[in-house]
Formats: sequence, C-alpha cells, structure tokens
Amino acid sequence: MPSLRLDGRRIEIHDGDTIAAAAFRAGVRTFSRSLKAHRRRGLYCGTGDCANCLVTVDGLPGERACVTAAADAMRVERETGWPSADRDVLAINDRLHRLMPVGFYYKVFARPRWLWPIAERVIRRATGTGTLPLRATAERTPTRFVRVRTLVVGGGVAGLAAAATAAADGSVLLADEGSLGATVTLPAARAAIARLTTEARAAGAEILERHAAIGIYEGPSAALLGANELVEVEAEHVVVATGALEAHGVFPGNDLPGVWLGRGAARMAAIHGVSLGDHVVVVANTDDGDDLAGAVRGTDADVTLVAGRVLEARGARQITSATVLTPDGRRAFACDALVLSLGWAPRDTLLRMTAEPEVVGAGDVVRPGCSLAEAEASGRAAARGDAAEARDADTWPIAEDDGYVCVCEDVSMHDLEQAWDEGWTSSEILKRYTTATMGPCQGALCSRHLADHARAKGATPAARGRTTARPPVRGPRLGELTGGVHEQVERRTALHDRHVAAGARIDHSGVWLRPGTYGDVDVEIRAVRERVSVMDVSSLGKFLVTGRDARALLDRVFPLDVGTLAPGRARYLLALDEAGYVMDDGLLAASGDGSFFLTSTSGGADRMEAWLRNWIDRLNLHVHVINQTAQLGAINVAGPHARDLLATLTDDDLSRGALPYPGHADITVAGVPCRAIAVGFVGELSFELHHPRGRSVELWDALVAAGAAWDLRPHGLDALDVLRLEKGHVYLTQDTMPDDHPAKLGLGWAIAKDKDEFVGKRALERMNALPLERRLVGLRFDGAPERGHPLTVEDAIIGRITSCAISRAAGGAVGLGWLRAIDGVFPNVLRAGDVVATVSPTPFYDPDGVRLRA
Amino acid sequence: MLVTCPTCGRRPFTEFSFGGELRDVASPDTRSDFARVYLHDNAAGPQQERWFHLLGCRRWVTLTRHTATNRVGG
Repeated sequence: MPSLRLDGRRIEIHDGDTIAAAAFRAGVRTFSRSLKAHRRRGLYCGTGDCANCLVTVDGLPGERACVTAAADAMRVERETGWPSADRDVLAINDRLHRLMPVGFYYKVFARPRWLWPIAERVIRRATGTGTLPLRATAERTPTRFVRVRTLVVGGGVAGLAAAATAAADGSVLLADEGSLGATVTLPAARAAIARLTTEARAAGAEILERHAAIGIYEGPSAALLGANELVEVEAEHVVVATGALEAHGVFPGNDLPGVWLGRGAARMAAIHGVSLGDHVVVVANTDDGDDLAGAVRGTDADVTLVAGRVLEARGARQITSATVLTPDGRRAFACDALVLSLGWAPRDTLLRMTAEPEVVGAGDVVRPGCSLAEAEASGRAAARGDAAEARDADTWPIAEDDGYVCVCEDVSMHDLEQAWDEGWTSSEILKRYTTATMGPCQGALCSRHLADHARAKGATPAARGRTTARPPVRGPRLGELTGGVHEQVERRTALHDRHVAAGARIDHSGVWLRPGTYGDVDVEIRAVRERVSVMDVSSLGKFLVTGRDARALLDRVFPLDVGTLAPGRARYLLALDEAGYVMDDGLLAASGDGSFFLTSTSGGADRMEAWLRNWIDRLNLHVHVINQTAQLGAINVAGPHARDLLATLTDDDLSRGALPYPGHADITVAGVPCRAIAVGFVGELSFELHHPRGRSVELWDALVAAGAAWDLRPHGLDALDVLRLEKGHVYLTQDTMPDDHPAKLGLGWAIAKDKDEFVGKRALERMNALPLERRLVGLRFDGAPERGHPLTVEDAIIGRITSCAISRAAGGAVGLGWLRAIDGVFPNVLRAGDVVATVSPTPFYDPDGVRLRA
Repeated sequence: MLVTCPTCGRRPFTEFSFGGELRDVASPDTRSDFARVYLHDNAAGPQQERWFHLLGCRRWVTLTRHTATNRVGG
C-alpha cells in the first residue's frame, strides 16, 4: 500500500486520496495552529478556499492539503505549532488574548520605542506559516501566452454553458482549477457537466484542466497557474464562473476541528469514503441539506439534519457538542462533526479584482445557490455579454455573540466590534486595522462578513462595500511568480565570443552584455594612455537621420547649433526634455549629402528613437530616422598610437586635415568600410569605427593583430570608468539625477545661447534665472574615497560622491560628486568620512585637450 | 484590450508605450511654457494622449483614452 509521511508518521494512501483525506482517515484532526492564539485548526472548507490545511510538501511550504493529491513517499509537515501542531506550547496565547487586542501592534508596543524591535523578533518567530527552503533555487515556471476571444474561468455548469455558447462566435479557452466534474457530488450536476462538456468540446472550446486563475488584470488579461506552467491569457471577454461555497459560519467555537463547510464534507465522505465521525450534525438552511446528509450517511455515520442558527460549538481538541437554535427551539447535540450549509457565499475574488465591463460573472458566483437550469442559462447569457444580475445572499449567518470572522488572522466578532467602537467605521478601514481578509485565504471566507458587519452597524453605502481583491488569489511559489516575469532581454555585440575567449569578465550593462575587464584594469588603462587599445562600443545608439527636413528637425530639438555644423564635422550633443533636464548625450556628425549620423548612450537608444519620431510627427517634418544600433558594430581605437595602428590597415588619409577633431570620414580599415569618428571620451587620440556588424570580428581581429606591435590591450567598462573620470566626463545616471539641467552638471557650454528655439529652451531660461542650489563638481581626495559616500561640512551632509577612482594620470584620488549650496555658497573643502575632499576643476588630466587633437 | 494603430491595425495594448497627454509643441513665452510642461489637465475622463507603437511599427498615434476606465476609442 502506498503511503506518505506526515511529520514522520507513516500514513496509508487510498486511490484518489488528497493529502487531507489520507491524513483525516488516519485520525489527524489538527492540521495547523492559528496565527495569534495558536488555536487548533482542522479541515474546514475542504475545497481549497481556506488556509486551515496549509502544509509543507516535500520541502515546499503553503500547499493546500485538501486539494493536493497524495503520492507515495511524499513528505508532509504541518507548518505551525511548537513542538508540534498537536502539542503547541503557545496555545497559552489563547488564554492571554486580552494581551493581544485588535490592533495590538499599534497599542501594546508603542511605548517604549526600544521594545518593538525585540517584540517584533519574538512575534515573527511565533507567527507565520511554513519555512522557505533557503538554499533551494526556485525553479522558474515556464510561461505561455495565449490570446482568445473569450476566456471562461471555472468548468462547472455555468462555465461550460458559457464556453459552449461563446465558441460559436470565436475562440474560447475554459480553465478549471481541477478536473471537470471530479469534485461534484450531486448526480444531477454531474450529468449536466458531462453533457455540457461534450457540447463545449464539439463547439470548439479549448478546455484546460488543473489551471487555476490566480488573477485578472487590466486588458482584460488573466494569469492561469498550472502544475508546470503559467499561462497569460489576453481575452476580449472573460466569464468568471467560479461558483459558490457555503457561507462561513460565525459563532463561538466555529473554528474547532470537526466543524465543516458542506461541500468539503461531502467530498470527504462521498468521493474519498472517509467518515467524518460517529455522530454528525448537518445544519442546512439551503436546499443542499438532504444531499449533504445523504453523502455523510454513506459512510455509516449517524447523521442528524436540522435547520436553524448555530449558537455555539464546544470542544477541546475537536468539537464534542453543538447548540443550534432550530424552528422548534434550542437544541443541543453531542457530536464529533458539525457540517454547515448556512447559506451561499460567492467565490467572487476574481470578480472583485476588476471593474472592467468585459469581465462578467455567471452562475453561482453572481447568483449563489441558483439551480442548475439557472446556472446554465446564466452561463449562456454571460457568453453573449449579459452580466447576470448579482443577487445578495439573504441567509447571512452573522453571529450575535462571538466567533472567528477571519480564521487566517484570528479576528473575532469581538475584535470587529471593538475596532468599530474605536472609530474604524468602514469595511476597508476595518480590514486594514484588524487585518481581517489579509491572511493566506485573501478574504475568501470573510470578506463578505466585513461588509455585512459595516452594514449591520449602519455604515453609509460608500463605507459598507466589499473590499477590493487583488492578485494573486492565493500564495504562489516564488518560481511561479517569476514565471510571469518577462524574460530579460540580453543583447550581445558581434564581438561577444571574442571577449569571452579573451577571458573577459562579462557585465550586464542595461540590456547589453559587455566586457568589464579582460583581467587587469591597470594594464588596460596604461595601454590607452601610453600605447594603443581597442574597445567594443557596438552598444552605442546609432541613428541615420535623413530627409528634406533633417537639419531643421535636429536644429529644432537639440540645443546645439546644427546650422554651423559643417559636413565632415561632429559635435557633442545633449538632449534635453521639455522640462530642460538632461535626457541623454551623444554625438552628432554631419555628412556632405545633408544627412546626419547620431549616436546616443547605450541605454538611451530606444528612448532617443521614440523621442525623435515623436518630434518628427508633431512638427510634421519630412525626416527619416533609421535606427542602426543593431545593424552597425563600433570599435573605438584609442591611444597615442591609434593613428599609427590604423595607418597599417588603411590607405586613407588619417591626418587632421582629412579627419579633423571632432569630425568624421568614411575610410576602409582592413578591407572593412568604416565611418571613422574622431572623438575623445577617454581623452586620447581616438577613432570610433562604425562598420557593418557582420564584419566586426574581422575588423577586431585585424586591429588586435596589427596592434601587437604596440602591445595593444583591449579595455573594458572598468577601465573606461576611470579614463573618462580623469577627463571629468559625466556618466549619465551614475553621476546625474533625473532633474539635472545642464548648468548643474557644468555642461552649460553645450547649449547654443542664441538659438530661437530648441526643446527645453523656455524651461532653461526659467531655471537659469534662479540661483544654483546644487551642482556636480570635480573632487580630489587625500585618501581612498568610496563611491556613494556622503560629503559633509561640519558633520552636515551636503552632497555625495558619484564617481571616484585612484588615478595615475590625475596624480591621485579623484572623483565627481554632488554639492548643495550653503547660504548660496558652494564649499570648497569637504569630508567624506576620514577623507578630505577638495573641489577641483576638471578635466583632471590633459585639461587643454592637447592629446585629443594630436 | 486592443488598440487601433493606423499602420498595424488592432493590436494588444501591451505593444504600446505611453507618451503623455497631447500638448502643444511650443509656447510663446516662458510663463505659458511652465503651464504647458507641468500643469497637465490630468482629466478624469476622455483624454487625448500620445502612444508609441514600440513593439510594432514604431510610429506615434494620438488616441483618446478614458482615464477612469482605460477604454480607448477614436
């Protein structure tokens, strides 16, 4: 006989068992301990709606025992209670509940303040469910995307009828959390489900079993969680037919093990053949009483069926007696199980997540307790877009005395009363204050009771609504959550394999994978400063801007003077947004044919393209923008011997006359056609070679081979960070903030003052009329600084280091950092911890740019 | 939810990226520019907006979105 282990104990499994069925048959009654009072909790809903039976299965916490199939050799552990769920020393809390009044976080530990961190540690240990397997890696659940016309959630009578009808008008996907009809005990319902399944399939509806909808989102779209996949569905119409469950009964003792909701009890008895007890009382105010009593009686239990209101349940380890107010008066029963069918509660969490008109309910979820015929008609109507009119359940079991409203969070009727008296007089505020509905079941049982309580107390209509539900419906695993995260785009340059082969450490730089260093940053820096080096800069944003109005566009949107940019010349470019803040920077090169070549930062390429296209459209200009970022590779050849190296690979003229600084020319290097741009981010003679991406490897290999004569070493991002810092060049985002106008960055020189119009001009005029309250400055340090370190004057923090390095070329530790003005004056000497920082002009290296122009 | 792109037809809204309220491209003076850049209407109702078909034709469209319901029309 197959078996599982529950807390080490061997438990036999019968065919078709859930974990709960096997454990209950073996005599397990306490499945968990409650959050605060550590009360015993047993199987209650039996349908996966409440959180009483959450267990750890094979190391994974938070599995619902009542809907998880048992398997041979499974290891199951109860998650709460110490030393065990059966014998929990913290059960003492149940007697001390006066120490934990509603809202006790806000009351008990408010003073003295030092007590809270200690108390919190104790509370955290005493509460919570399950333990995450810390060293385990969550396996990422694969994601699948589906687009359909109609999505139906729930494969009961209403859902199947909706699917069958909607399939006539377009594609239909029906998702059910289990297997169609598998948990239905009523014969007539089983027959209807079988008939409608055939009809839906014949009409062409796709049926996806064992996929639970865990959220409905804008669109509408939905996330369906299967055993091994997450399905994201975009639909034009969604029909939610998730049914109803018996209303959660609130009365003293309502949370005792042995108190059941009807459908779960019927499943246990009729499907698993497990006897609920020897003496079972069924309290039914719905039409289901006879069916429930019949199902339970099938296991040879002695069953009493009554109607009425449950006044009280008593017991210690489990229920031993119940008192019911029947039409014939008050009656007391000795019993070991109490099955409740007091009224119907819609399983409407998904519906309460959205207000979109394309999402409609059908069947029990909008008309709880409706007949099979009504459910079918409602499903068919919903498929045609008619939302069934929601009907309030009229038999609502609100207790007059006490009892647990929110079973997950141990919130009792008494707590709700007290919160109300303290002034928390609306359902949403009651929720936040008491944390009712905020447990693992997400209010599946009790959200209705909160609204009802508010209504009973006479709250205004606005203050007594159902609380909003939010995804996910239940706690998914981390791996399942990551399943919905769209895969990270990773871009590689054509030279990626070359970098890996050269032993480079590959870094993520935005979406790009780029070499951080090839081993020794210092060697790379020296190669650039003293000899020659190459860097793969293929990730730069690269745009060809052509068309009749190309010059007019660029002149209108960028703050530089495009009018004076002669063919063959290039210029540093700042892009400002309409608020005058620096959005991106790059280079603009003018060609003889009236077209322009534009580069942007690696991370800014997509935004630059969208931005340019917007202005072309808004200004109604005739311009083509071709994003060549992926089409062109780029290699920067830098160092005092850069020209010497290129001269060995080209016959073209590389003199300053033919290729001025800053400027560009089309040349052929090692047989590869290149647009060479003479630029200077690293502060040495350098040439950016833009070329067809398919020939990057060829060009790189030729440069590296020819460069051997000068002991060429390629450099990566780490070296670049130091090289540009020595020149005082700003790294956008690392050194800047989202609201930097050029003057704050010392980039005022990049703005053409006498232009009539450019994007951000008016904003700059406005801001330039104000004193600078903050600016980026160059810093020299007398010790080893740390990036991000606060800069202080007399212990007052007035700035922070944004970049720093110990630089040979600059003769010491240098950096960039933010400073705030004190009374309108920027201080010159600051401290960064033990290090003294002195404001210094930039560039730190070759301030006159002699080497660039070589 | 499907959004109509003039070049690509009806496409899922997730292919588009938001470009803000439709505003004038320029202002006659500094004062009105402040209002143009910062003082958005932020209407609770139909609003003309710019959207970029990022995962499609990469063109901008001006459309009307009801900001309270996210319905897109016109």
